Amino acid sequence: MTTLQIGLLFGFSTCVVLFSGMPIAFALGAVATVFMFFFMPHASLDTIAQNVYEEMASITLLTIPLFILKGAAIGKSKAGRDLYSALNIWLSKVPGGLGIAVTLACGLFAAMAGSSAATCSAIGSSAIPEMRERGYSSGLSAGLVAAGGTLGILLPPSVTLILYAVAAEQSLGRLFLAGIVPGLVLVVLFAGYGIFKFNLERKQAQTQVQEGGASSRILQVEHYTLKEKFMAIPRVLPFLVLLLGVMCALYGGFATPSETAGLGAVMALILIAMVYGAWKLSDLKPIFTSTLSEATMLMLIIGMSLLYSYVMSYLHISQSAAEWVVSLHLSKWVLFFAVSVLVVILGFFLPPVSIILMTAPIILPPLRAEGFDLIWFGVVMSVIMEMGLIHPPVGLNIFVINKIAPDISLSEVVWGTLPFVFLIMFAVLVLCVFPDLVTFMPDYFFGPAQVR
Amino acid sequence: MSHEFSSPSSKDLSHEGRGPLQKALLSLNRIAALIGSVAIGIAACVLTWEATARYLFKIPSDWQDEVTIFLLVGATFLSAGWVQAQRGHVGIQALAAVLSPRADRWRRYLSDVLSLLFCTFFAWKSWTLLLEAIEDNQISGSAFGAPLWIPYGSMAIGGSLLVLVLLEQVIRQDALHLKS
Repeated sequence: MTTLQIGLLFGFSTCVVLFSGMPIAFALGAVATVFMFFFMPHASLDTIAQNVYEEMASITLLTIPLFILKGAAIGKSKAGRDLYSALNIWLSKVPGGLGIAVTLACGLFAAMAGSSAATCSAIGSSAIPEMRERGYSSGLSAGLVAAGGTLGILLPPSVTLILYAVAAEQSLGRLFLAGIVPGLVLVVLFAGYGIFKFNLERKQAQTQVQEGGASSRILQVEHYTLKEKFMAIPRVLPFLVLLLGVMCALYGGFATPSETAGLGAVMALILIAMVYGAWKLSDLKPIFTSTLSEATMLMLIIGMSLLYSYVMSYLHISQSAAEWVVSLHLSKWVLFFAVSVLVVILGFFLPPVSIILMTAPIILPPLRAEGFDLIWFGVVMSVIMEMGLIHPPVGLNIFVINKIAPDISLSEVVWGTLPFVFLIMFAVLVLCVFPDLVTFMPDYFFGPAQVR
Repeated sequence: MSHEFSSPSSKDLSHEGRGPLQKALLSLNRIAALIGSVAIGIAACVLTWEATARYLFKIPSDWQDEVTIFLLVGATFLSAGWVQAQRGHVGIQALAAVLSPRADRWRRYLSDVLSLLFCTFFAWKSWTLLLEAIEDNQISGSAFGAPLWIPYGSMAIGGSLLVLVLLEQVIRQDALHLKS
């Protein structure tokens, strides 16, 4: 069989097996095994377990369970609620301040927890009811939290960026830094839209009152005393210290990314024990249970995805596909656009981790050949995948919101979230026009990049 | 919901309505998961120690990365069966919306059978790998040179637990009784 035929068969079998509903990890492993049996020396079948072990035994990859542990420790505590209510108290004077508080809280929480779903549920479960009570429309409330949650896959310690670092052989430290400014751009865009929409909704309420209708909570301004403002600080301060501490450890050169992962997890556990008194076995059990189930599921997908890419590359499928893409001589931005569309479509069905590991060997060589900076691309790809998290009809965050606020109809959530999809598209455009927004931070801290 | 990437929804793992063998299997998986949890906790502490020891006491790091890898690979494989018992390994469920409920249940059952086949093969190869490592006294390639039967053993044992859970689910035709 020619490489093309094998490649097509490989792709087709993958689709069939994945859509059978088999767990993604086992599905990828099974496809890889069957193709090893038919197209590779039989000795390779004997080393399949060793293969998976060697691919997984990377200290960079294995930071993932530890970052999940840190996220779970903070996610299961009341830190999310406290963070957001403190920000809310401080921003109460600003029109639309609650929306800004929610977006900022999502960003900060995402930077501590590294997970989109965890951010959505931790912030959303208290922020959505409060926004609605204060007169925000259900759609706007849901949209702000869903969009804010997506920051989890962009801001360090994002699991997505860790995998990209491994797949693209790029420095994790650089990637983490590169994600920060685009994350801030998104925070500004989300908060800006929140203010705009808030003012729109408030004006509608004002017109309603002028026409003799009922008054709305949205017209009332909350007041907090200075004492209340200062009382709000102590509870959030430890977590900001954790966030800054981890950043300093990593970028001050005190610790490697893997040590930072361990350090962060230990510090998070100590913090929730000190601040919330969560040190008993009954407090720790849910943290470890959820860490273990999420980490095991992810690590198995990662291990099997790596086996899958190994087979794909052994059979020259990825190389041939990459060569074929290069031979099309697409212009730089057409190529970029095509890759982005591919990532969005795959995002309908696959979690970001599999998308990166399965597609990296095919899409990265052509992108590199066209002169794209791979650090820049990793960050932009993460932003594009953020869109997949809130893109109807399948975005994960939409369903998380649906779960934590079941009385908001799914269509309200979808319509409320849609504007944020466009905002993320706009952000991608901004990052394409101003690539320095991505590369500035890593270049500043680590010196200009060598030829990548 | 056509796909779920979030942490698995916890299914009730009570002993109710299960035979003695099933109860034993569940307990085994719980113990394995407990070991996995402890391993993740220890790994976090080891790395914390590595960073502080090197920075504060100038003690060079040699064994920490290796130990962390063993602990975390071990945790992953040992708890694989426990996660499967809660159906926590996510798959694409997009066809559920298209197929009739009956056909969909059979699709799920078929995917369980396929998973069982693959995992059995993988567990078998893990055992042969483990036996080889013990026979040849294989050690890791690093300067520390830890024996490789440790991670391979966790893969073999964890893989087998996963196979047993899948086998139990296939025999009990769990997928046919699941709510769509």
